[in-house]
Amino acid sequence: MPAATLALPAPSDRPGSGAPVLEVRGLEMRFGDRLVQQGVSFTVPASTIFAIMGVSGCGKSTLLRHVIGLLEPAGGQVLLGGTSYWDGDDAARRRLRTGCGMLFQSAALWSSMTIRENVCLPLEQMTDMDQRQRDARATEVLQWVELEAFAAFYPADLSGGMRKRAGLARAIGASPPLLLLDEPSSGLDPIGSRRLDDLILDVRQRTGAAVVLVSHELPSLLAIADDGIFLDADSKCPIGHGSPRQLLESGTNPTVKAFMHRERLPDAPGKAAP
Amino acid sequence: MPVQQDAAIVAAVATPDRKRAAPVRVPVALAAFLAKGADAIEFLGQIPLSTAALLAARRRFPLRDFIRVTMQCSAEALLIVLVVNVLVGAILAFVGAVQLVKFGAGIYVADLVGIAVSREMAAVMTAVVMAGRTGASFAAELATMQTNEEIDALSVLGLDTVAYLALPRVLALTLVMPLLYLYGCAAGLLGGLLVASGMMNLAPSAYLDRTVEALNATQFVLGASKSLSFGFLVAMTACWYGLHADRSAAGVGQATTGAVVAGIVGVIALDAVFAVCANALGW
Repeated sequence: MPAATLALPAPSDRPGSGAPVLEVRGLEMRFGDRLVQQGVSFTVPASTIFAIMGVSGCGKSTLLRHVIGLLEPAGGQVLLGGTSYWDGDDAARRRLRTGCGMLFQSAALWSSMTIRENVCLPLEQMTDMDQRQRDARATEVLQWVELEAFAAFYPADLSGGMRKRAGLARAIGASPPLLLLDEPSSGLDPIGSRRLDDLILDVRQRTGAAVVLVSHELPSLLAIADDGIFLDADSKCPIGHGSPRQLLESGTNPTVKAFMHRERLPDAPGKAAP
Repeated sequence: MPVQQDAAIVAAVATPDRKRAAPVRVPVALAAFLAKGADAIEFLGQIPLSTAALLAARRRFPLRDFIRVTMQCSAEALLIVLVVNVLVGAILAFVGAVQLVKFGAGIYVADLVGIAVSREMAAVMTAVVMAGRTGASFAAELATMQTNEEIDALSVLGLDTVAYLALPRVLALTLVMPLLYLYGCAAGLLGGLLVASGMMNLAPSAYLDRTVEALNATQFVLGASKSLSFGFLVAMTACWYGLHADRSAAGVGQATTGAVVAGIVGVIALDAVFAVCANALGW
């Protein structure tokens, strides 16, 4: 199988021990005059599952969109495999982007295409595979996510969980060194969510890809994430670094503690004694 | 909310600062309008660039999408184009007959219907129908793709969304419109014939002879040129609204409405330009 075109360090068996696949330095995100987040810095080595955490509306999905080049940062740098994304020309950016696979929050499967075609289009764009190789690879990844029987179905014919798995199959088809997953478990039942977690761990194990994950789901985060960052909606900057487990056990910031322990914030409404 | 806070908000709303802010909105709105205009011009320029890249075989053309869209704006639109143009031809004949019969010039209703249909009505009415039908469909489909992040997913692959999504739609409607125009002409003339023979007791052969005498190639060249331009305009407008829709259900509705309104107004405005040009050229 031809590798994706982004030159990246070889995967490591031990999480966190490889050179960085993704490095974010002092990122500042804005929508017009409105500041979303600033001072966001983190590094994601190969074979690491990195979680972006925070309350709703703090800019987690926006951060993913900056990482993959859908939005241009107001400041700071995004380095993919050591190369600054925004310093290159269009061709260079396109090359860097082909090293990324993304599962969108809504799965974002192309509705006019079958599931097989959804998986094959990135292979056509990002690899040198011929039609026969693309079909074989599509079959392989669809078997991986247990959707080979639904290859000829259209996205509208699948359940939410199946769409998420199809989106994951599309994202991993070209074996990108960097996988970006935007709330992969949202809307799934606990069994479906666990199944997706296992798939993500399996992808990491098999491909050595670095995985950046946005999620609210604590059991999932605690089960699979090796490292992470916690974004704060009020101060508009990161207020916690470390694995979800570390943040759960030793996080000191009130917001981080409240989030990780599923508690009310100290100044939140409804805190009054019964 | 405490009463003091309510009072503070009321006071803030009524402050001179708020009043001073009102005139500021005009330049802001103007700047937004100009930015939108610049964006539309950029979009207009991307279509020939994408076509050139396609012809140079540097870009993948979504053939299946093109075939699907061509079907949607040709075969599937035949019935409504037929009905509207037959009715327009019949209305023209009816109105003309009432006036012309007074002067004993009833036979010239064939001239009226023939010239009006081939120069103006077939092209304009077909374009209006296509703006409401296909333009709305293009805008809604692309806006829904925007809402569902499907367009972002294409961008992540490095695909040019204009080439991949807008180009097949613009090409399909632009190429199909002259054919629909000819079909609309035939339907309009049929509508006129039905009224002339049914209401005025004109012999169909006499009506057709008179129609052939009244028409010339210039009328059809003008009508076909208009329909080509209208098709391009309607498709471009629909794609622009669809690709620039807000990411919400309301955004889909707004994009669809905007595409239909702008498409119809654009067709009529462009028709006026054609009328002035045709007059200047003596056509």
